[in-house]
Amino acid sequence: MNEKEIIERLKKKDVRAVARLLTFIENEDELAENILKKIWKHTGNSHIIGITGPPGAGKSSIVDLLTKISIEKGLKVGVLAVDPTSPFSGGAVLGDRLRMTSAQDPGIFIRSVASRGHLGGLAATTRLMINAIEMLENDITIVETVGAGQGDVEIVQIADTTIVVEVPGLGDEVQAQKAGILEIGDILVVNKGDRPGSDRLSKELAMMLSLGEEKEWMPPIVTTTAINGDGFDKLWEEINNHKQYLGTEKRNAMRLKRINYELENQVSQKLFTKKMIQIGNSEIPNMAKEILNRRIDPLTAVEKIIRE
Amino acid sequence: MSKKGKIRVLIAKPGLDGHDRGAKVIARALRDSGMEVIYTGLRQSPEDIVEAAIQEDVHFIGLSILSGAHTHIFPRVIELLKEREASDIKIIAGGIIPDEEIPKWKEIGIEAIFGPGSSTNDIINYVKGS
Repeated sequence: MNEKEIIERLKKKDVRAVARLLTFIENEDELAENILKKIWKHTGNSHIIGITGPPGAGKSSIVDLLTKISIEKGLKVGVLAVDPTSPFSGGAVLGDRLRMTSAQDPGIFIRSVASRGHLGGLAATTRLMINAIEMLENDITIVETVGAGQGDVEIVQIADTTIVVEVPGLGDEVQAQKAGILEIGDILVVNKGDRPGSDRLSKELAMMLSLGEEKEWMPPIVTTTAINGDGFDKLWEEINNHKQYLGTEKRNAMRLKRINYELENQVSQKLFTKKMIQIGNSEIPNMAKEILNRRIDPLTAVEKIIRE
Repeated sequence: MSKKGKIRVLIAKPGLDGHDRGAKVIARALRDSGMEVIYTGLRQSPEDIVEAAIQEDVHFIGLSILSGAHTHIFPRVIELLKEREASDIKIIAGGIIPDEEIPKWKEIGIEAIFGPGSSTNDIINYVKGS
Protein backbone atom coordinates (compact mmCIF):
# COMPACT_ATOMS: atom_id res chain seq x y z
CA MET A 1 0.00 0.00 0.00
CA ASN A 2 1.41 3.39 -0.93
CA GLU A 3 0.65 6.72 0.70
CA LYS A 4 -2.24 7.63 -1.56
CA GLU A 5 -3.88 4.23 -1.26
CA ILE A 6 -3.62 4.27 2.51
CA ILE A 7 -5.21 7.72 2.76
CA GLU A 8 -8.02 6.66 0.41
CA ARG A 9 -8.65 3.53 2.46
CA LEU A 10 -8.41 5.38 5.77
CA LYS A 11 -11.29 7.58 4.66
CA LYS A 12 -13.35 4.42 4.26
CA LYS A 13 -12.39 3.31 7.77
CA ASP A 14 -10.48 0.36 6.34
CA VAL A 15 -8.94 -1.80 9.08
CA ARG A 16 -5.97 -2.89 7.04
CA ALA A 17 -5.01 0.68 6.19
CA VAL A 18 -5.14 1.66 9.85
CA ALA A 19 -3.04 -1.38 10.77
CA ARG A 20 -0.46 -0.49 8.15
CA LEU A 21 -0.33 3.14 9.24
CA LEU A 22 0.28 1.95 12.81
CA THR A 23 3.24 -0.05 11.55
CA PHE A 24 4.68 2.97 9.77
CA ILE A 25 4.26 5.05 12.92
CA GLU A 26 5.96 2.41 15.07
CA ASN A 27 8.83 2.17 12.63
CA GLU A 28 9.14 5.94 12.54
CA ASP A 29 8.84 5.70 8.79
CA GLU A 30 8.65 8.95 6.82
CA LEU A 31 5.45 7.75 5.20
CA ALA A 32 3.73 7.94 8.59
CA GLU A 33 4.59 11.63 8.91
CA ASN A 34 3.21 12.41 5.48
CA ILE A 35 -0.02 10.56 6.13
CA LEU A 36 -0.52 11.95 9.64
CA LYS A 37 -0.16 15.48 8.35
CA LYS A 38 -3.02 14.85 5.96
CA ILE A 39 -5.42 13.12 8.36
CA TRP A 40 -4.72 15.20 11.47
CA LYS A 41 -7.92 17.21 11.25
CA HIS A 42 -10.04 14.07 11.33
CA THR A 43 -8.52 12.77 14.56
CA GLY A 44 -8.93 13.55 18.25
CA ASN A 45 -12.54 12.53 18.64
CA SER A 46 -12.39 9.56 20.99
CA HIS A 47 -12.48 9.47 24.76
CA ILE A 48 -9.06 8.15 25.75
CA ILE A 49 -9.02 5.79 28.72
CA GLY A 50 -5.64 4.81 30.18
CA ILE A 51 -5.29 1.63 32.20
CA THR A 52 -2.18 1.10 34.27
CA GLY A 53 -1.02 -0.94 37.25
CA PRO A 54 1.53 -3.59 38.21
CA PRO A 55 2.16 -6.70 36.06
CA GLY A 56 -0.51 -9.35 36.54
CA ALA A 57 -2.98 -6.98 38.21
CA GLY A 58 -5.57 -7.83 35.56
CA LYS A 59 -5.28 -4.87 33.20
CA SER A 60 -5.90 -6.89 30.04
CA SER A 61 -8.85 -8.71 31.59
CA ILE A 62 -10.32 -5.37 32.61
CA VAL A 63 -9.86 -4.05 29.07
CA ASP A 64 -11.62 -7.16 27.79
CA LEU A 65 -14.63 -6.62 30.04
CA LEU A 66 -14.79 -2.91 29.21
CA THR A 67 -14.79 -3.68 25.49
CA LYS A 68 -17.63 -6.17 26.04
CA ILE A 69 -19.72 -3.54 27.82
CA SER A 70 -18.96 -1.09 25.00
CA ILE A 71 -20.19 -3.56 22.40
CA GLU A 72 -23.42 -3.98 24.36
CA LYS A 73 -23.88 -0.21 24.38
CA GLY A 74 -23.21 -0.04 20.64
CA LEU A 75 -19.94 1.84 21.02
CA LYS A 76 -16.82 1.29 18.94
CA VAL A 77 -13.54 0.76 20.73
CA GLY A 78 -9.88 0.90 19.77
CA VAL A 79 -7.31 -0.70 22.05
CA LEU A 80 -3.55 -0.19 22.21
CA ALA A 81 -1.97 -2.76 24.52
CA VAL A 82 1.68 -2.09 25.31
CA ASP A 83 4.07 -4.82 26.47
CA PRO A 84 7.81 -4.54 27.12
CA THR A 85 10.54 -5.09 24.56
CA SER A 86 13.51 -7.22 25.63
CA PRO A 87 16.51 -5.00 26.32
CA PHE A 88 18.76 -7.84 25.13
CA SER A 89 17.29 -9.13 21.89
CA GLY A 90 15.00 -6.24 20.95
CA GLY A 91 12.21 -8.77 20.56
CA ALA A 92 8.96 -9.04 22.48
CA VAL A 93 6.17 -11.46 23.26
CA LEU A 94 2.94 -9.51 23.16
CA GLY A 95 0.36 -11.44 25.11
CA ASP A 96 -2.35 -8.94 26.00
CA ARG A 97 -4.51 -10.17 23.15
CA LEU A 98 -4.76 -13.51 24.92
CA ARG A 99 -7.24 -12.04 27.40
CA MET A 100 -9.21 -10.08 24.87
CA THR A 101 -11.88 -12.52 23.86
CA SER A 102 -14.09 -10.07 21.99
CA ALA A 103 -11.31 -9.15 19.57
CA GLN A 104 -13.26 -10.45 16.62
CA ASP A 105 -16.25 -8.13 17.02
CA PRO A 106 -16.43 -5.64 14.13
CA GLY A 107 -16.67 -2.75 16.60
CA ILE A 108 -13.33 -3.60 18.20
CA PHE A 109 -9.81 -2.93 16.97
CA ILE A 110 -6.92 -4.19 19.06
CA ARG A 111 -3.25 -3.58 18.43
CA SER A 112 -0.42 -5.05 20.50
CA VAL A 113 2.47 -2.65 20.84
CA ALA A 114 6.03 -3.33 21.97
CA SER A 115 7.61 -0.57 24.05
CA ARG A 116 10.78 -0.73 21.90
CA GLY A 117 13.04 0.54 24.63
CA HIS A 118 10.89 3.49 25.67
CA LEU A 119 10.51 3.90 29.43
CA GLY A 120 7.50 5.24 31.30
CA GLY A 121 4.99 2.50 30.49
CA LEU A 122 4.23 3.34 26.87
CA ALA A 123 5.97 3.30 23.50
CA ALA A 124 7.44 6.54 22.13
CA THR A 125 4.84 6.62 19.39
CA THR A 126 1.72 5.76 21.40
CA ARG A 127 0.18 9.20 21.08
CA LEU A 128 0.35 9.18 17.29
CA MET A 129 -0.94 5.62 17.21
CA ILE A 130 -4.08 6.78 19.03
CA ASN A 131 -4.64 9.34 16.28
CA ALA A 132 -4.28 6.67 13.61
CA ILE A 133 -6.85 4.42 15.30
CA GLU A 134 -9.25 7.34 15.53
CA MET A 135 -9.61 7.14 11.75
CA LEU A 136 -11.96 4.22 12.52
CA GLU A 137 -14.26 6.76 14.21
CA ASN A 138 -14.19 4.82 17.44
CA ASP A 139 -15.95 6.31 20.46
CA ILE A 140 -13.37 5.12 22.96
CA THR A 141 -9.64 4.44 22.77
CA ILE A 142 -8.23 2.32 25.59
CA VAL A 143 -4.49 2.41 26.18
CA GLU A 144 -3.14 -0.36 28.37
CA THR A 145 0.36 0.32 29.67
CA VAL A 146 3.25 -2.02 30.31
CA GLY A 147 2.96 -3.58 33.76
CA ALA A 148 3.92 -0.46 35.65
CA GLY A 149 6.22 0.27 38.55
CA GLN A 150 5.72 3.14 40.94
CA GLY A 151 7.12 5.75 38.59
CA ASP A 152 5.58 4.81 35.26
CA VAL A 153 3.19 7.68 35.01
CA GLU A 154 3.46 8.73 31.38
CA ILE A 155 -0.07 7.53 30.66
CA VAL A 156 -1.44 10.57 32.47
CA GLN A 157 -0.01 12.74 29.67
CA ILE A 158 -2.15 10.90 27.15
CA ALA A 159 -5.39 9.69 28.72
CA ASP A 160 -8.52 11.71 29.41
CA THR A 161 -9.47 9.24 32.11
CA THR A 162 -6.71 7.30 33.86
CA ILE A 163 -7.58 4.10 35.68
CA VAL A 164 -5.01 2.71 38.12
CA VAL A 165 -5.47 -0.98 38.90
CA GLU A 166 -4.22 -2.32 42.21
CA VAL A 167 -4.48 -5.79 43.71
CA PRO A 168 -4.33 -6.98 47.32
CA GLY A 169 -1.16 -8.48 48.73
CA LEU A 170 1.52 -6.18 47.34
CA GLY A 171 2.44 -4.13 50.37
CA ASP A 172 1.36 -2.37 53.52
CA GLU A 173 -0.49 0.89 53.89
CA VAL A 174 2.68 2.98 53.60
CA GLN A 175 2.85 1.91 49.96
CA ALA A 176 -0.41 3.75 49.47
CA GLN A 177 1.10 6.96 50.80
CA LYS A 178 3.98 7.08 48.35
CA ALA A 179 4.11 9.47 45.46
CA GLY A 180 3.78 8.24 41.91
CA ILE A 181 1.37 5.95 40.21
CA LEU A 182 -1.43 6.12 42.77
CA GLU A 183 -1.59 9.88 42.38
CA ILE A 184 -2.45 9.78 38.70
CA GLY A 185 -5.64 7.72 38.92
CA ASP A 186 -8.92 9.42 38.10
CA ILE A 187 -10.43 6.09 39.10
CA LEU A 188 -8.75 3.55 41.38
CA VAL A 189 -9.65 -0.08 40.84
CA VAL A 190 -9.06 -2.85 43.35
CA ASN A 191 -9.11 -5.93 41.14
CA LYS A 192 -9.19 -9.56 42.24
CA GLY A 193 -11.87 -8.48 44.69
CA ASP A 194 -12.51 -12.13 45.60
CA ARG A 195 -9.03 -12.39 47.15
CA PRO A 196 -8.43 -11.86 50.84
CA GLY A 197 -7.21 -8.37 51.61
CA SER A 198 -9.17 -6.57 48.92
CA ASP A 199 -11.47 -4.83 51.43
CA ARG A 200 -8.48 -3.72 53.41
CA LEU A 201 -6.69 -2.38 50.32
CA SER A 202 -9.81 -0.49 49.35
CA LYS A 203 -9.91 1.10 52.83
CA GLU A 204 -6.23 1.98 52.69
CA LEU A 205 -6.69 3.69 49.36
CA ALA A 206 -9.66 5.62 50.72
CA MET A 207 -7.53 6.67 53.66
CA MET A 208 -4.76 7.80 51.32
CA LEU A 209 -7.21 9.93 49.37
CA SER A 210 -8.74 11.44 52.51
CA LEU A 211 -5.31 12.61 53.68
CA GLY A 212 -4.67 14.47 50.45
CA GLU A 213 -5.94 17.87 49.48
CA GLU A 214 -9.56 18.33 48.57
CA LYS A 215 -9.93 18.13 44.80
CA GLU A 216 -12.80 18.95 42.51
CA TRP A 217 -12.79 15.36 41.27
CA MET A 218 -12.19 12.87 44.05
CA PRO A 219 -11.13 9.54 42.52
CA PRO A 220 -13.69 6.84 43.28
CA ILE A 221 -12.44 3.44 44.39
CA VAL A 222 -14.10 0.52 42.62
CA THR A 223 -13.64 -3.11 43.60
CA THR A 224 -13.82 -5.51 40.65
CA THR A 225 -13.44 -9.22 40.06
CA ALA A 226 -12.51 -9.75 36.43
CA ILE A 227 -13.10 -13.50 36.43
CA ASN A 228 -16.82 -13.13 37.13
CA GLY A 229 -17.51 -9.55 36.05
CA ASP A 230 -18.37 -8.22 39.51
CA GLY A 231 -18.06 -4.46 39.85
CA PHE A 232 -17.82 -3.67 36.15
CA ASP A 233 -21.18 -1.91 35.92
CA LYS A 234 -19.92 0.38 38.65
CA LEU A 235 -16.59 0.91 36.88
CA TRP A 236 -18.38 1.74 33.64
CA GLU A 237 -20.58 4.21 35.52
CA GLU A 238 -17.55 5.91 37.09
CA ILE A 239 -15.82 6.20 33.71
CA ASN A 240 -18.90 7.97 32.39
CA ASN A 241 -19.10 10.16 35.49
CA HIS A 242 -15.53 11.26 34.90
CA LYS A 243 -16.19 11.88 31.24
CA GLN A 244 -19.19 14.03 32.14
CA TYR A 245 -17.23 15.85 34.82
CA LEU A 246 -14.57 16.76 32.24
CA GLY A 247 -17.06 17.83 29.60
CA THR A 248 -15.62 19.40 26.48
CA GLU A 249 -14.25 22.43 28.28
CA LYS A 250 -12.09 20.75 30.92
CA ARG A 251 -11.02 18.08 28.49
CA ASN A 252 -9.82 20.61 25.96
CA ALA A 253 -8.01 22.64 28.61
CA MET A 254 -6.23 19.46 29.68
CA ARG A 255 -5.41 18.49 26.11
CA LEU A 256 -4.14 22.00 25.32
CA LYS A 257 -1.72 21.82 28.22
CA ARG A 258 -0.40 18.50 26.95
CA ILE A 259 -0.05 19.67 23.39
CA ASN A 260 1.99 22.61 24.66
CA TYR A 261 4.22 20.29 26.60
CA GLU A 262 4.52 17.85 23.72
CA LEU A 263 5.32 20.61 21.24
CA GLU A 264 8.03 21.90 23.50
CA ASN A 265 9.48 18.39 23.69
CA GLN A 266 9.38 17.89 19.95
CA VAL A 267 10.99 21.23 19.24
CA SER A 268 13.79 20.66 21.74
CA GLN A 269 14.30 17.14 20.38
CA LYS A 270 14.66 18.48 16.83
CA LEU A 271 16.97 21.28 17.94
CA PHE A 272 19.03 18.78 19.88
CA THR A 273 19.43 16.51 16.87
CA LYS A 274 20.38 19.45 14.66
CA LYS A 275 22.99 20.71 17.10
CA MET A 276 24.45 17.22 17.62
CA ILE A 277 24.92 16.81 13.89
CA GLN A 278 26.63 20.19 13.84
CA ILE A 279 28.97 19.19 16.64
CA GLY A 280 29.92 15.99 14.83
CA ASN A 281 31.45 12.76 16.02
CA SER A 282 34.98 13.74 16.96
CA GLU A 283 34.55 16.73 19.26
CA ILE A 284 33.15 14.86 22.25
CA PRO A 285 35.69 11.97 22.33
CA ASN A 286 38.54 14.47 21.91
CA MET A 287 37.31 16.56 24.77
CA ALA A 288 36.80 13.46 26.91
CA LYS A 289 40.53 12.66 26.65
CA GLU A 290 41.35 16.20 27.66
CA ILE A 291 39.09 15.86 30.71
CA LEU A 292 40.67 12.54 31.70
CA ASN A 293 44.13 14.07 31.53
CA ARG A 294 42.98 17.03 33.59
CA ARG A 295 43.79 19.51 30.85
CA ILE A 296 40.25 20.85 30.96
CA ASP A 297 37.36 20.52 33.41
CA PRO A 298 34.02 19.04 32.29
CA LEU A 299 32.06 22.24 32.82
CA THR A 300 34.31 24.36 30.60
CA ALA A 301 34.40 21.51 28.08
CA VAL A 302 30.62 21.52 27.71
CA GLU A 303 30.52 25.25 27.17
CA LYS A 304 33.32 25.06 24.65
CA ILE A 305 31.64 22.29 22.63
CA ILE A 306 28.31 24.10 22.52
CA ARG A 307 29.88 27.38 21.45
CA GLU A 308 31.77 25.86 18.58
CA MET B 1 10.82 -1.53 5.61
CA SER B 2 12.54 1.29 7.45
CA LYS B 3 15.57 0.58 9.57
CA LYS B 4 13.50 0.51 12.73
CA GLY B 5 11.11 -2.08 11.31
CA LYS B 6 10.67 -5.34 13.17
CA ILE B 7 9.46 -8.68 11.96
CA ARG B 8 6.05 -9.27 13.51
CA VAL B 9 4.69 -12.79 13.84
CA LEU B 10 1.33 -14.00 15.13
CA ILE B 11 1.52 -17.37 16.83
CA ALA B 12 -1.84 -19.07 17.07
CA LYS B 13 -3.10 -22.36 18.35
CA PRO B 14 -6.28 -23.19 16.45
CA GLY B 15 -8.53 -26.14 17.13
CA LEU B 16 -9.37 -27.85 20.36
CA ASP B 17 -6.19 -29.50 21.59
CA GLY B 18 -4.55 -27.71 24.49
CA HIS B 19 -0.93 -28.67 23.97
CA ASP B 20 0.62 -25.26 23.54
CA ARG B 21 4.14 -26.01 24.69
CA GLY B 22 5.42 -26.01 21.12
CA ALA B 23 3.74 -22.70 20.33
CA LYS B 24 5.27 -21.16 23.45
CA VAL B 25 8.74 -22.46 22.65
CA ILE B 26 8.53 -20.95 19.17
CA ALA B 27 7.17 -17.65 20.51
CA ARG B 28 10.06 -17.41 22.92
CA ALA B 29 12.69 -18.36 20.32
CA LEU B 30 11.42 -15.75 17.87
CA ARG B 31 11.37 -13.15 20.63
CA ASP B 32 14.98 -13.95 21.51
CA SER B 33 15.93 -13.45 17.90
CA GLY B 34 14.55 -9.91 18.01
CA MET B 35 11.08 -10.34 16.57
CA GLU B 36 7.78 -9.10 17.95
CA VAL B 37 5.55 -12.06 18.61
CA ILE B 38 1.84 -11.73 19.21
CA TYR B 39 0.68 -14.79 21.09
CA THR B 40 -3.07 -15.31 20.87
CA GLY B 41 -3.50 -18.38 23.01
CA LEU B 42 -5.58 -21.53 22.73
CA ARG B 43 -8.68 -22.48 20.76
CA GLN B 44 -8.60 -19.75 18.15
CA SER B 45 -10.95 -19.94 15.19
CA PRO B 46 -9.62 -19.19 11.70
CA GLU B 47 -11.74 -16.01 11.77
CA ASP B 48 -10.09 -14.89 15.05
CA ILE B 49 -6.66 -15.58 13.63
CA VAL B 50 -7.11 -13.72 10.38
CA GLU B 51 -8.72 -10.70 12.03
CA ALA B 52 -5.91 -10.55 14.58
CA ALA B 53 -3.24 -10.91 11.89
CA ILE B 54 -4.71 -7.98 9.97
CA GLN B 55 -5.09 -5.70 12.98
CA GLU B 56 -1.59 -6.55 14.15
CA ASP B 57 -0.18 -6.10 10.61
CA VAL B 58 2.05 -9.15 10.93
CA HIS B 59 4.35 -10.57 8.27
CA PHE B 60 3.75 -14.17 9.32
CA ILE B 61 1.06 -16.32 10.90
CA GLY B 62 2.44 -19.35 12.71
CA LEU B 63 -0.11 -22.12 13.24
CA SER B 64 0.54 -24.89 15.72
CA ILE B 65 -1.76 -27.86 15.30
CA LEU B 66 -1.38 -31.34 16.74
CA SER B 67 -4.88 -32.71 16.54
CA GLY B 68 -5.36 -33.29 12.85
CA ALA B 69 -7.62 -30.27 12.59
CA HIS B 70 -5.23 -28.74 10.08
CA THR B 71 -7.15 -30.39 7.24
CA HIS B 72 -9.99 -27.99 8.01
CA ILE B 73 -8.04 -25.03 9.37
CA PHE B 74 -5.32 -24.57 6.72
CA PRO B 75 -7.72 -24.11 3.79
CA ARG B 76 -10.01 -21.88 5.85
CA VAL B 77 -7.24 -19.51 6.97
CA ILE B 78 -5.94 -19.27 3.40
CA GLU B 79 -9.44 -18.57 2.10
CA LEU B 80 -10.12 -15.87 4.71
CA LEU B 81 -6.83 -14.13 3.97
CA LYS B 82 -7.79 -14.07 0.31
CA GLU B 83 -11.21 -12.65 1.12
CA ARG B 84 -9.60 -9.86 3.12
CA GLU B 85 -7.02 -9.19 0.38
CA ALA B 86 -4.30 -10.10 2.84
CA SER B 87 -2.62 -13.00 1.07
CA ASP B 88 0.72 -11.22 1.44
CA ILE B 89 0.71 -12.46 5.05
CA LYS B 90 2.64 -15.72 4.95
CA ILE B 91 1.58 -18.84 6.82
CA ILE B 92 3.99 -21.23 8.47
CA ALA B 93 2.90 -24.26 10.42
CA GLY B 94 4.16 -26.69 12.99
CA GLY B 95 2.90 -29.64 14.96
CA ILE B 96 1.78 -32.99 13.65
CA ILE B 97 1.34 -32.77 9.89
CA PRO B 98 1.80 -36.09 8.02
CA ASP B 99 4.84 -36.00 5.71
CA GLU B 100 2.90 -37.22 2.70
CA GLU B 101 0.52 -34.26 2.97
CA ILE B 102 3.18 -31.58 3.06
CA PRO B 103 3.47 -31.03 -0.74
CA LYS B 104 -0.29 -30.60 -0.94
CA TRP B 105 -0.37 -27.94 1.77
CA LYS B 106 2.55 -26.10 0.28
CA GLU B 107 0.78 -26.01 -3.02
CA ILE B 108 -2.32 -24.29 -1.62
CA GLY B 109 -0.33 -21.66 0.23
CA ILE B 110 1.34 -22.86 3.43
CA GLU B 111 4.84 -21.43 3.05
CA ALA B 112 6.69 -23.85 5.31
CA ILE B 113 5.96 -26.68 7.69
CA PHE B 114 8.16 -27.49 10.66
CA GLY B 115 7.43 -30.86 12.20
CA PRO B 116 8.68 -32.46 15.41
CA GLY B 117 12.46 -32.19 15.83
CA SER B 118 12.81 -28.97 13.83
CA SER B 119 15.40 -26.69 15.34
CA THR B 120 14.29 -23.24 16.42
CA ASN B 121 17.30 -21.84 14.55
CA ASP B 122 15.99 -23.27 11.28
CA ILE B 123 12.66 -21.57 11.89
CA ILE B 124 14.27 -18.25 12.81
CA ASN B 125 16.50 -18.37 9.73
CA TYR B 126 13.56 -19.21 7.54
CA VAL B 127 11.47 -16.32 8.82
CA LYS B 128 14.35 -13.86 8.59
CA GLY B 129 15.28 -15.07 5.13
CA SER B 130 11.92 -14.66 3.47
